[in-house]
Amino acid sequence: MTTESVTHAYTSQKEAFWGGVHEAIGAPAIVLFAGMVGFGAMGRTNGLDLWYTGFCSTFMFALPGQIVLLDMIITHSPLIAIAIAVSLSSARFVTMTLTLFPQFSDKDKSRGSFGAVHLLAMTAWAVSMREFPKMKPEHRRSYFVGLGLFCWMLALPGTALGYLLAGMVSKSITVGLIFINPLFFVLTFTEIKNSWSKLAVFLGAILGPIFYALDPDSSLLLSGLVGGTAAYWIDKVYIRKPQPIDQS
Amino acid sequence: MDNPIQLNNWQLWTALISACIGTYFCRSVGVILSGRVDQNSEFFYWLTCVTYAMVAAMTVRMIVLPVGLLSTVPLIARLAVCAVTVAIMVSGTKRRLGPALLVGISCLVSYVYYFGG
Repeated sequence: MTTESVTHAYTSQKEAFWGGVHEAIGAPAIVLFAGMVGFGAMGRTNGLDLWYTGFCSTFMFALPGQIVLLDMIITHSPLIAIAIAVSLSSARFVTMTLTLFPQFSDKDKSRGSFGAVHLLAMTAWAVSMREFPKMKPEHRRSYFVGLGLFCWMLALPGTALGYLLAGMVSKSITVGLIFINPLFFVLTFTEIKNSWSKLAVFLGAILGPIFYALDPDSSLLLSGLVGGTAAYWIDKVYIRKPQPIDQS
Repeated sequence: MDNPIQLNNWQLWTALISACIGTYFCRSVGVILSGRVDQNSEFFYWLTCVTYAMVAAMTVRMIVLPVGLLSTVPLIARLAVCAVTVAIMVSGTKRRLGPALLVGISCLVSYVYYFGG
């Protein structure tokens, strides 16, 4: 953290906040907005109402989890399986928070962090990790809140727009809107750098349809647990630690 | 369009509320553990793997075995759109997420427009 010079020389919390907002306007906002438009369209075409779809985007604010929820609703999964799968799909927030929040200044670490954490999303996390070293610790939380808040405020309008568009535009456009999210996930997979995550994506992609054919209800959970654990194990034994190990 | 949802209203909202609580719980656990847990621990490697495998399984299912409107588009067209998009994405070192997404979605929209899906 000390190797990089402070290039964002904010003079106040307010300035840092607006710096975050400014950073959000652009790629982070576009990606998030497009994803939410896609989610709104999925909600409409799968028979959910606007309240429900909008509530999802505002209070879950986690696209993969929202889509897991929607997907499991339309494949008639039991409630308990839905709750577990969605919570597991949000487990990445634990690691994201753990890498981001320790970078706040000491007095910001506790106060208000439980509110700020709701604004955390994949895009805001990636941008913050890149920009935090360039600013003083006491400005980081304001910057993060500006960035996250702007993205969060787009969630509901994006969802509503997608929902309304899906009912008005032609079938071809609606199909395009629905396909935004799966395509976005495929693209983010191409950006993964570490071996264990690549392996996990690969195994999950193969196991997903197989488990789905066996039992749609539990397929997401099982693919995650089996594929993920296998990827973790293979990586740990053969890739990450290539030192000689007991090969009996 | 027939309604694929079989859960009743009460079940739907219960699922949503528990999903919201579960999601917020994961975020807040991160705050509680901040600074106390080693982010390089084996447990977090494993958790990352499980998460990625699950998101990958879900993505493949949405593309290969979709429910609803998307299922009217032939599988080969869906896969071709993915292939084109990934090709654009990896064709350069700069971030191309926006352009790749735009081209991919445009291809799919044009296909459905001309061939009716």
